[in-house]
Amino acid sequence: MVTGVVETYWHLAPDRHAEDVMSNAVPSSGSQAGPSRRPVLSRQLRQDLRAYLFLSPWLVSLLVFTAYPMLASFYFALTRYNILNPPEFVGLANFDEMLRGDPLFWIAVYNTIYYTLISVPLGLAVSLGLAILLNFSVRGIGIYRTIFYLPSLVPVVASTLIWLVLLNPRLGLVNAGLEAIGLPRPGWLQSADWSKPGLILMSLWTGVGGAMLIFLAGLQDVPQSLVDAAMIDGANGWERFRHITLPLITPTIFFNLIMGIIGSFQVFGQVLVSGGSGGQVGPLNSLLMYLVLIYRNAFRFFNMGYASALALVLFLVLVLLTLLVVRTSNYWVYYEVGARK
Amino acid sequence: MRTEDSEVRRTVVSRRAFLRATAISASAAVIAACGGAPTTRQPAPPPTAAPGVAAPTTAPAQVESTKQVTIEWFNRYTTPTTQEVLPLMIGEFEKQNPTIKVQYQNPGNGEGYIETLLSRIAGGNPPDVATLYEPPVEFAARGSLLAIDDYLQSARTARPDAIYEAPLKSCQWQGKTYGLPSSAGAAAVYVNTEMFREKGISFSRDTFPKTWDEIRALSREFVVIDNGQLQQAGFVPFGNSWIYPAWSAMNGGQLYDSAGTRYTLDSDANVAWLDYWVRWLNEDFGGDIEQLNVAGNWAGTYPETAFNLGRASMATEGSWSTTDAEIPFEFDVAKLPFGPGGNRSLTAFWPNWWVVPKGTTNPEAAFQLVEYIATTGWQIWYEYIMDTPSWKAFPPTVLTTRLVNAVGQEKAQDYNDFFANYLNDAVEMWTSPIETFANDTLGSAVGEVLAKRKSPKEALAEAQALCQAKLDETLKGQG
Repeated sequence: MVTGVVETYWHLAPDRHAEDVMSNAVPSSGSQAGPSRRPVLSRQLRQDLRAYLFLSPWLVSLLVFTAYPMLASFYFALTRYNILNPPEFVGLANFDEMLRGDPLFWIAVYNTIYYTLISVPLGLAVSLGLAILLNFSVRGIGIYRTIFYLPSLVPVVASTLIWLVLLNPRLGLVNAGLEAIGLPRPGWLQSADWSKPGLILMSLWTGVGGAMLIFLAGLQDVPQSLVDAAMIDGANGWERFRHITLPLITPTIFFNLIMGIIGSFQVFGQVLVSGGSGGQVGPLNSLLMYLVLIYRNAFRFFNMGYASALALVLFLVLVLLTLLVVRTSNYWVYYEVGARK
Repeated sequence: MRTEDSEVRRTVVSRRAFLRATAISASAAVIAACGGAPTTRQPAPPPTAAPGVAAPTTAPAQVESTKQVTIEWFNRYTTPTTQEVLPLMIGEFEKQNPTIKVQYQNPGNGEGYIETLLSRIAGGNPPDVATLYEPPVEFAARGSLLAIDDYLQSARTARPDAIYEAPLKSCQWQGKTYGLPSSAGAAAVYVNTEMFREKGISFSRDTFPKTWDEIRALSREFVVIDNGQLQQAGFVPFGNSWIYPAWSAMNGGQLYDSAGTRYTLDSDANVAWLDYWVRWLNEDFGGDIEQLNVAGNWAGTYPETAFNLGRASMATEGSWSTTDAEIPFEFDVAKLPFGPGGNRSLTAFWPNWWVVPKGTTNPEAAFQLVEYIATTGWQIWYEYIMDTPSWKAFPPTVLTTRLVNAVGQEKAQDYNDFFANYLNDAVEMWTSPIETFANDTLGSAVGEVLAKRKSPKEALAEAQALCQAKLDETLKGQG
């Protein structure tokens, strides 16, 4: 059996692997080599070291720029640490402050959950809908795909500034359009009730492109033979989608769902541009998202210890949510035709 | 005989061993870094005994030194105008101080700047000079800035009594001075004199409303409501939270008592201030802050604000706005009105601060740059940008060219004198080690009051508790 490890090994050092195969076939004679000529490191170890040498840029960067900050922040979460002075161990005091002493914590939690609960399903539905439309073979489909993907290439600051103009309650195009069809004009980012829907609208515009592309790839993987068979059996369009396409793209939905949840808990750039990080973040702090709370504690209030505790909680919540989704995937994700994972 | 399975097993073991080794190394690095890094920072020698430089018993600029030093300045300015000004300022400084070379760089704008600065200070590799928009006291209270009092005592131009009192105080913590303000743009009421003229109301500073009641009465003259929507207003006071210390003081209150290091947010005077604002909102603007905000941006004078668009006849802003806001009509400035609990106009101000982080290897050269920029060097800046100098001896005839071009020599001189004189009535502000936290907290409290979520008493009591707790924690060295 050829495993993934061996496959990787082949890719990294095919020549050396060939040597190994040869050496397995014809074992070297110890008496011929002699103890004085035996290399210090075994051939396999040398090969492994060479592989890790090539991997080392990535490994070092992972350890220094990801693993170390993560581990350090776990420690800082248990300290009072203002960045400028050494941290002082305070045990679970930061978590106590979070739950009982910081009124903004619960506001940020509420705002973030609200945002996640609406933006993730909506984002999935819109990106899947667009992917289905862009999966049709029509003239110029490549151009349409490019056009719909383009917003996700726009830098978040630029796109947010555009949306600030579009969502201007008095002069924005969105409200002009709503008024034209007889609907009321929301206050959008000037309103405590409408600011989060406004933010979700912004995120949708910039966020669906990536997910749409992944859905499109998933849709193109659906075997045409199955669709044709269903059609011959008399299934209409909805039935073909519901019973053939949808089950077969559940791995893609699963991936986009996890990415969407993680991304929505970390919404930051759009909030920073549209609501700032100081004072009230949006009317009555209605745009104070969890990551903004972390940021302002770390870099505005010199409270890196507390910010680290907030980050740790976010990390744990995301791990739990991801595990939950992974667990439930056994019941709704199909990896092969007719069989669940 | 080796099989593929044994090959796999051996590879897995090897990887595991490798991962174990790296995990151990990483843990060791984390422990070492957490325990050691911040404490290994070399504190800067005191100014009186800086190695390699003469003790500042004489004026720093008079110290003879042939040793060439290069100092690094963390520059925060990114606008096209400042890019034009900075080389001129630094060029002049280097001409005056041929042994000092200044390397200036912008390590990011907005909060990115603070991230980088904090990292550099924490890492023991600070720049020699840094510009701050945040009060130096926040950094000083956490032991990261160099006290410059010895230098100030022997300075040629930046002696303490040569700087306006309130702006200088914004650099002081527990009796020591940790930076200098190069400017301190005072807040004022900007007046659209064209709108006044159209209404047949004459404008003069002498007759301009002195009290909140008077400005409310004047403001009502300009209110236009169409279809239930506020189309035009006179004066909406609720924005620009950086002016809150003046609003509080003008009603006999105070937000922070620096002498007693305690917050006084929930004082009767402050509750009365917000009660007054709620009445103002209810009686003059229909009582709904959200509707008011939807109707326009009433804070400040910058483009897209109601004032700049000609939809509000008055607004508050700092002196820099005379040129920065590119006000497209004839305007004038007047003093802020005071409340029922006050008896005179006071102003708020927002400086550009210059500090020398602790750990610099060139404290004397760094101070020379700070002194230059906070005094004589600011002339070059001021010719380009109207940002009121905090140096009292600043030549009164130096005017901002753009302002002169826009409003004429006489008016520009008038604005210049007005803002410089108004600094004498500046309130004490920016003196708390938790200033940013307190401003954010007060801003949220005022927002909740105006949105009728909480009464002024309730909201200010909560803000007071939060700020005092944070202050106490910081004073104990934990925040």
